[in-house]
Amino acid sequence: MKTFLLLTKRNTKLFFKDKGMFFTSLITPIILLVLYATFLFNVYYDSFLQAIPPEIQIMDSNLKGIVGGQLVSSLLAVCCVTVAFCSNMLMVQDKVTGARKDLTVTPVKNSTMALSYYVSSVISTLIICLIAAVAGFIYLANVGWFLSADDVLCILLDVVLLVLFGTALSSVINYFLSSQGQISAVGSIISAGYGFICGAYMPISQFSEGLQKVLSFLPGTYATSLLRNHAMRGAFAELNKLGFPEEVINNMKSTVDCNIEFFGKIVSTNAMYAILAVSVIVLIAAYILINMFVKIKNK
Amino acid sequence: MQQKNIIEIEHLSKSFGKTQAVSDISFCVRQGELFAFLGVNGAGKSTTISIICGQLEKDCGKVIIDSNDIEKGTDAIKLDLGIVFQNSVLDSALTVYDNLQSRAALYGITGKAFEQRLQELAKMLSFDDILDRTLGKLSGGQRRRIDIARALLHNPKILILDEPTTGLDPQTRKILWNVISDLRTKNNMTVFLTTHYMEEAADADYVVILDSGKISAKGTPLELKNAYTADYITIYGISKEQAESLGRPFEEIRDAYRISVDNTALATELIIKHPEIFTDYEITKGKMDDVFLAVTGKKLIGGEA
Repeated sequence: MKTFLLLTKRNTKLFFKDKGMFFTSLITPIILLVLYATFLFNVYYDSFLQAIPPEIQIMDSNLKGIVGGQLVSSLLAVCCVTVAFCSNMLMVQDKVTGARKDLTVTPVKNSTMALSYYVSSVISTLIICLIAAVAGFIYLANVGWFLSADDVLCILLDVVLLVLFGTALSSVINYFLSSQGQISAVGSIISAGYGFICGAYMPISQFSEGLQKVLSFLPGTYATSLLRNHAMRGAFAELNKLGFPEEVINNMKSTVDCNIEFFGKIVSTNAMYAILAVSVIVLIAAYILINMFVKIKNK
Repeated sequence: MQQKNIIEIEHLSKSFGKTQAVSDISFCVRQGELFAFLGVNGAGKSTTISIICGQLEKDCGKVIIDSNDIEKGTDAIKLDLGIVFQNSVLDSALTVYDNLQSRAALYGITGKAFEQRLQELAKMLSFDDILDRTLGKLSGGQRRRIDIARALLHNPKILILDEPTTGLDPQTRKILWNVISDLRTKNNMTVFLTTHYMEEAADADYVVILDSGKISAKGTPLELKNAYTADYITIYGISKEQAESLGRPFEEIRDAYRISVDNTALATELIIKHPEIFTDYEITKGKMDDVFLAVTGKKLIGGEA
């Protein structure tokens, strides 16, 4: 157990000491912040404003709370996966630097080593994502706070679950990488691409129907939707109190991916949790099996 | 008393695709000896070491380390081996302490046991003043000392040194060799060395020369020198004519003439025959560089990768 803990400590320390790896992991959240700061915030604010019937009075903070909720949920959705990928690159980095050789000449079990990479990556990613969540809450408190204690807890639970998912996914993919070039390629693809496919840069509802169907098979889609639901629930409830028609609110929810359909049926939040939990279990099982049966050359 | 064999390799072969990295090699290493494994880059040294350490699977042959067959599991073998890799493979971003702590944990050495071992090693290799420094900021010599400390953390029976002194200054090389020599004397530790420095190989108890994956020569340095090089008699205070009168090839050096003879017996014969010339002289064996050149036809250049 002590071996595992010290190995995990080593991996976690290395991630935070490696500034390159650390800052690379923050590229996607930074892109998202820039997008919102430059134009996305105004685009969404205006489109929500236009959706409001003229006879209904709405507070500016309410609208900002909705757009802010969208920003925070998008930010957390990408953060949990891209940071996980980058922190988990340590397992590849160890092959590149030769440190892996030094670890495997010892009697330590492969499973202990694999688990230590996973757990340290979860810890590093959680630390960053929870800080991001707190920053998001502070931001929402400034622009318009409509979250209940339940919402906050649910968002934190979503973050934990998404971090477990992102880390498990990255563990399976990173296992097969062994060079600096591959690290850069996968890091760039994930950083640039994940924001699109999880609906963080643009809601999935805006994509073509075919693409929406494809994305409905990806667990990440449901993770983003869970975060959206919890980050925006309070603001939508406030609209309801103000007398907004249920149908309009539902349309707004669908526009921002709170309602995700799987072959025409809206997926409930419980089902989304189940999808995410099962994905985590399947990916971890795959990671364990890969470690047991696949041999990769240690460079 | 003759020591037992701690490493036994029989008919070991390994290929990568069509490239035969190691081809049917057999040799033994006795406990407590300094064993030198020589060869140019690509000769198969690293492949052999990787197989011994359980990093690579062999194609065929037998590898027995301290009576444990590598085919029957490597856990016990890994406890016997300490390895200093050619290039430092510790974590540059972490401190010396963190590096050694995380590596010691891999052998189950934690808490007080680790602190005690760390103190012993820090004293032995004189690095107690740099424990808190980041490894990446240390000089080459300091880093090498930490590499050796890492290899010795679990008190291995066999220390594998893969070109340990390449790129180090002579003083640091001397310090490292003193420590290693001390360990061999006190702990009867076996040292398995690959090196490009022939003067290091000359101090070995047994030498194996590898060329293109095959063993070209093996024996003690003396046996190899006798078999593959000539002896030299350096005679001081004689004239060129006197040197010529010996009828052997010679070269002029600053204050003497160096005469080449096939073996020591011939040297003795010359001395007896020309006592008037041999008033101030010394007989030396050929060097390990000459052995290597004679065996492989290649020159092993110290410090070159």
